[in-house]
Amino acid sequence: MIMVTEDNKYKSVINILKKSTPVPDSAEEVEREVIKRVSKIPHQGMNISDVTDFLFGWVYIGWVRRSLIAASIILVLVFIYQQGIILKQINYLSRQTVVVDGAASFNPESAIEKRLMMYKMNGRRFASKKITISEKQMEEIIDSVNALQIKYKDLINLINEDPELKNYIEKKLIENDHKKIKL
Amino acid sequence: MIDIKLIEECRGGNLNNFRKLVELTTPLAFSVAFRMLGDEEQAKDVVQETLITIWQKLNKIKSPEVYKTWIYRITVNKCYDQLRKRKRNPEIIADDSVWALISNKVYEAPSSELENSETSRIIGLLTNRLSPKQKAVFVLSELEEMSSDEISEITGMSKSGIKSNLHYARKSISEMVEKYL
Repeated sequence: MIMVTEDNKYKSVINILKKSTPVPDSAEEVEREVIKRVSKIPHQGMNISDVTDFLFGWVYIGWVRRSLIAASIILVLVFIYQQGIILKQINYLSRQTVVVDGAASFNPESAIEKRLMMYKMNGRRFASKKITISEKQMEEIIDSVNALQIKYKDLINLINEDPELKNYIEKKLIENDHKKIKL
Repeated sequence: MIDIKLIEECRGGNLNNFRKLVELTTPLAFSVAFRMLGDEEQAKDVVQETLITIWQKLNKIKSPEVYKTWIYRITVNKCYDQLRKRKRNPEIIADDSVWALISNKVYEAPSSELENSETSRIIGLLTNRLSPKQKAVFVLSELEEMSSDEISEITGMSKSGIKSNLHYARKSISEMVEKYL
């Protein structure tokens, strides 16, 4: 029988436990089972759990880690929702007329609107606030202007083709206006 | 000895190499799991789960030293899960037969090794009052003889946390040993 002092009792018990390294009675069975289960799992690269481990691997308490993951998902969803609203507002505003320095600038959708806009922006013939005509009336005006331009071009061509007529018109214009007009 | 070459080969999905890794890893994981849980069947389950997790996350391993810490970390975390599932018994059941066994080993045959079932009964009795964290620190420090740095790496606890948990575990076990042995 060995004499063990009171102080050494703890150490003796620990030494006995330390010395006796536990060994599984059927290590092969454990290994076989592991290989069997592992062979059914496809060997993957990065997956969701890898990402969460990478981001939250520093948190060792399970419920804290889960709470952080949940909070981050909520924050991401809120962010996406907010971005969606902002994008919607931007799209809505981009369709609106914006008055800058008295001139209206907007995204024209039809050909008429484009031409009207060009007309306004080039000549500033009338202020944007004084437009009271309907779209139909505006269409008629533009059509008539276009027709007039075609007729004007035809007339110029006729004049250019006939030198006598050209001289005559020039003379008449000088007479009428008392100034030289070069055609 | 677990070397980086073997781990590298396992990363490619080679099951034969993984079999070798399983052979080398099982004793390490089982020792910690068994000592923390005091139950052979549960320890085996933990080892299986640990090895499957290792297979799934093997790409993260960079060096053999890290691998060893990593398997201990996974094992300890799986043991925590098992311990949380159990109902903690605040009452210490002074099982005379276990104390007789401890007494026999301490006074009569200190050089003899314990059977798994004997280890299980002794650990179960001595660590009954300890929390999972205290059990982990006690097993890793006192039985697996790891440094506080290694325990900190494995458990994620601070050094002061390890110190206080170990102090409580030692005090609790010492009191029982003093009282019943």
